Amino acid sequence: MRSIALSSWCYGVLFSGLAAAQAPAPSAPADYSPPRLASGKPDLQGLWSNALLTPLERPADLADKPFLTEEEAREYARKRVETTNRDNRQGDPGADVLLAYNDFWWDSGNSVVKTLRTSLIVDPPNGRVPELTEAAKQRLAAQPPFSADGPERQPLNARCIYYATAGPPMTPGAYNNNYQLVQTDDHVLIVNEMVHETRIIPLDGRPFPPEEIRQWRGSSRGHWEGDTLVVETRNRRADTPFRGSSENMRLTERFTRVADDVLLYEFTVDDPDTFTQPWTVQITSSRVQDELMYEYACHEGNKAMYGILGGARLEERRAADAAK
Amino acid sequence: MKRIGLALAGLLSLAACGPAAPPAAQSDSASGIERTADGKPDLNGIWQALVPANWDIRPHEARPAPLAMLGASGAEPPSLGIVDGGEIPYLPAALEQQRQNYANRFELDPERKCFMPGIPRATYMPQPFQLFQSGDNISIVYQFANAVRPIYMKDPGPAPTSFWMGWSVGRWEGDTLVVEVTNQKPETWLDRAGNFHSGELRVEERYTLMGPNHLLYEATLEDPKVFSRPWKISLPLYRRLEANAELLEFKCVPFAEEVLYGPLRKGYAGEKP
Repeated sequence: MRSIALSSWCYGVLFSGLAAAQAPAPSAPADYSPPRLASGKPDLQGLWSNALLTPLERPADLADKPFLTEEEAREYARKRVETTNRDNRQGDPGADVLLAYNDFWWDSGNSVVKTLRTSLIVDPPNGRVPELTEAAKQRLAAQPPFSADGPERQPLNARCIYYATAGPPMTPGAYNNNYQLVQTDDHVLIVNEMVHETRIIPLDGRPFPPEEIRQWRGSSRGHWEGDTLVVETRNRRADTPFRGSSENMRLTERFTRVADDVLLYEFTVDDPDTFTQPWTVQITSSRVQDELMYEYACHEGNKAMYGILGGARLEERRAADAAK
Repeated sequence: MKRIGLALAGLLSLAACGPAAPPAAQSDSASGIERTADGKPDLNGIWQALVPANWDIRPHEARPAPLAMLGASGAEPPSLGIVDGGEIPYLPAALEQQRQNYANRFELDPERKCFMPGIPRATYMPQPFQLFQSGDNISIVYQFANAVRPIYMKDPGPAPTSFWMGWSVGRWEGDTLVVEVTNQKPETWLDRAGNFHSGELRVEERYTLMGPNHLLYEATLEDPKVFSRPWKISLPLYRRLEANAELLEFKCVPFAEEVLYGPLRKGYAGEKP
């Protein structure tokens, strides 16, 4: 399945407000109506994948080109797959366990976002994360660097506590891009493949927990706006930043089923303590057919932490011995 | 092509039927249980066990805390247990293993390491879990360690490997949700007292609503490597009725890191790992 999948139908109507005349688009059924639950709400359930080659930020060499044509997109995807193929690595075999992490372990997909944009960020229009505020620059510069002194000095993903790609917000990563959505009348459950994260989103209009209840992934509340599921998240801990965000980040996600096999996933990051303006991302999640998502027991299998810490202690002992 | 055909069929059925009317949650006045739109018992909700089986699923007296400084607050609550007949039918070698586990339980219990608890233990840990049921889409999320498992209501075929939370295949038998759980990790325990199983454990779970707010949980455990015959546990689960009840994060990795990695910390002065 190394074929390069591109949208065969149109997002012209859907994206017209955002993409203006530049959207490359044949024609979508403007009257697409998603399958519905007994409640009448769109059925968003199933397994979806965010494996996309499109970068979050527009690359410098495409600064003046917000969209690719279908042909350009095919070529872009082909090159990205080729250059990121881990089996093509040259270099020091000692750098990663005798090149054991071959391409089998990676899954960035083989296609670009179906909007054919050159970045997942759609606003600001330059496709880049907005500039940080002065306060945020100082805050981030003051953070202590990671070290192997102890487990708590390691990054959250090395500790299997939190992966930015599972979010919220969810963004494409190098592997484990699937998520399963279960939807009842008053709740939505999103299970991310990455670190078996689960997010339970009440739809019953209940208030957020009190401000002092801080969670690694915040607290989420959802509601329907027409056929779009809107999810707001706040109350995050200060130590789970997304692209440098603060604990005051307010995140708004929007899920819209725009085709049987496409879930349009958009989010806006609003964090005046960190970014000089809000910014918005647009991702097309693809339906995963005839496959299952398996448990990713990151912490239970975290032998790497023993290696990282034990290796550092060994180096210290060797250095001490050499100094004698 | 198959996909297009299905999509067309979907559109046609929509055109034929028009927008679906919002469903009235059905209530079964005879049994007092709610039903989902498809007529199945509605198991949605946040559930929790009250019986202190996580300390020991067998009948047990109150026991002191593992550390004296915890005093009465860390002591183990007593219970008449959840094992039918009170006794777990261990094979002789397994019984010896269980005794060793018990003697070293405070060090060896995987709960201490923040490992996903497996089935059935996840059901009666002293933390809630939430069941999501939407037609054939059924998943259970446990607050402890954010453990989660899908219940496959259509046969997914054989499990490709083993999982901490097992491989769960479900079906309805009348008003009872029956789940066959296989392919669990041998590392999980059944409680803090060292009761255990092997990777060959098969669990048949049965979820039956007893009323609007009570769910009967029964599980039969079969493991020819460890037990001489199948045996059964049963306990009621209680719906969490607080208006604001919700699962909160219990990401316990940070609570377990000292236990797991402390001896590898820079400047560690205790016993060598």
